[in-house]
Amino acid sequence: MKDQWTDRLSEYLDGDLTAGERTALEAHLAACGVCRVTLDELRRVVARAQALDDRPPAADLWPGIAEHIGVVSLAARRVDGRGRRRLSFTMPQLAAAAVALALFSAGSARLLFRNRPPSPTQGTTAIMTNVGMSPLDARTAASVAALEENLARNRGQLDTATVRVIEKNLGIIDRAIRDAQSALAADPANAYLNQHLAQETRRKLELLRQAATLASARS
Amino acid sequence: MLMTLATLAALGIAQQTDTTLPVRAGVRLEVSNFGGEIAVKTWSKSAVRIAANHSSRDRISIDATEQYVRVKSEGRRGPSQLVEYDITVPTSMALALSGVYTDISVDGSQGEVTAETVEGSVKVSGGAGNVSLKSVQGEVTLEKARGRISLSSVNETITATGISGDISAETVNGDVTLTQIESANTDATTVNGDITYDGTIKDGGRYRFSTHDGDLRVAVPEKAGVSVSVATFNGDFSSCFPVQLSRKTKHRFDFTIGSGTARIELESFNGDIRLCRPGQLKRDKHEDHDDQEEE
Repeated sequence: MKDQWTDRLSEYLDGDLTAGERTALEAHLAACGVCRVTLDELRRVVARAQALDDRPPAADLWPGIAEHIGVVSLAARRVDGRGRRRLSFTMPQLAAAAVALALFSAGSARLLFRNRPPSPTQGTTAIMTNVGMSPLDARTAASVAALEENLARNRGQLDTATVRVIEKNLGIIDRAIRDAQSALAADPANAYLNQHLAQETRRKLELLRQAATLASARS
Repeated sequence: MLMTLATLAALGIAQQTDTTLPVRAGVRLEVSNFGGEIAVKTWSKSAVRIAANHSSRDRISIDATEQYVRVKSEGRRGPSQLVEYDITVPTSMALALSGVYTDISVDGSQGEVTAETVEGSVKVSGGAGNVSLKSVQGEVTLEKARGRISLSSVNETITATGISGDISAETVNGDVTLTQIESANTDATTVNGDITYDGTIKDGGRYRFSTHDGDLRVAVPEKAGVSVSVATFNGDFSSCFPVQLSRKTKHRFDFTIGSGTARIELESFNGDIRLCRPGQLKRDKHEDHDDQEEE
């Protein structure tokens, strides 16, 4: 059974609760087995997100991501003459960037460039500029990928009708995301389109979280 | 699934549970049900009556403390089958109702209401303070409530009528219809559906309506002082009354009506956005429907 804390477990893990809320939730956890199970599941999701990919992403795409998540790219360091120093990134940064690449390049590149001759440089620029990826977006993308994996793993816990409904609605959100990405290709700086893309991506994250919570509650 | 549950339930002998227990003010009712129905109505007595129809294979457990009355059903092996609860509570009693394949209804509450189900409708009349209604695959309907209202579905419509307070309504695949609303803070979003808002626009209020594939229809009273931001990618904007655009960029424009102290954000990626006066929206919608039928 869900209670008032179930939907706040993510915030707890993210450290977004106030001290008072944190204390209250921890007291609640001591007495609520369902929330403990859900929390464990969410912890596993986060752990998997962090372990998703420790490979550096494709070199041609990385500078754009690095710029957007607030680290200086290797190319930029070379340009300003400090290229000898080895560049290092934290695991979350790498995971976020890799998942972000997988999410945004796989889905959007096909749509954005299906009618154009292949041009890696052109495509790369368009994707990264249009995505306008902030650190928050990168984290969201990583969470989305991890939760999708979690849903695929735990779909057996859910009734087939529920799975169908969730997948249908994920498809609806994905279509909205693709529409926004496609529109951004033509108008990268458009504030409304960027905001719309972020909103739909977060909506997808929320639905996946909801599905994960349902699956945990049923396991 | 409900059919399966019904069949399974029919294999067991039907049994009736009917218990009434006294409760103090401030006690919360918590009911969880796997499949079936939770119907709650109110009375003036300081007591809770729990009536349930269920299979003889299932057991209804009632745990009452000074803080809560907790009702749940259990089968011999795992979740119960199909239980239909008919519960009567004091008007102001806080309610926390949850189910999986469960329809939930509440009538006449003046207390906090939390109702969540996966496959089933949630229909509440009344509620005060925090009112939170959620369903994954089921309509969410609320009327005559006041307070902080949170309405959520995934694959169905949300309808709220006669509500006052802060309102948040969100679905993915369904319309959101908010009528006779008195609110200074309303946020309604869907991905694949229309949004209709017919209610107050209060000075200093904040209103946001956003859809991807659907139309927005919003009523703006004549005396409202509001700055309006409109954004659409593939849709059109129209208004039943003249507006003077103050700022226009690609896909977005603003205008102000009166003092402009309230703020409305209207966003539809693929749909049309229409502003009208209160009462005109219903006529508009009917005309749209008639047009579609003629086509």
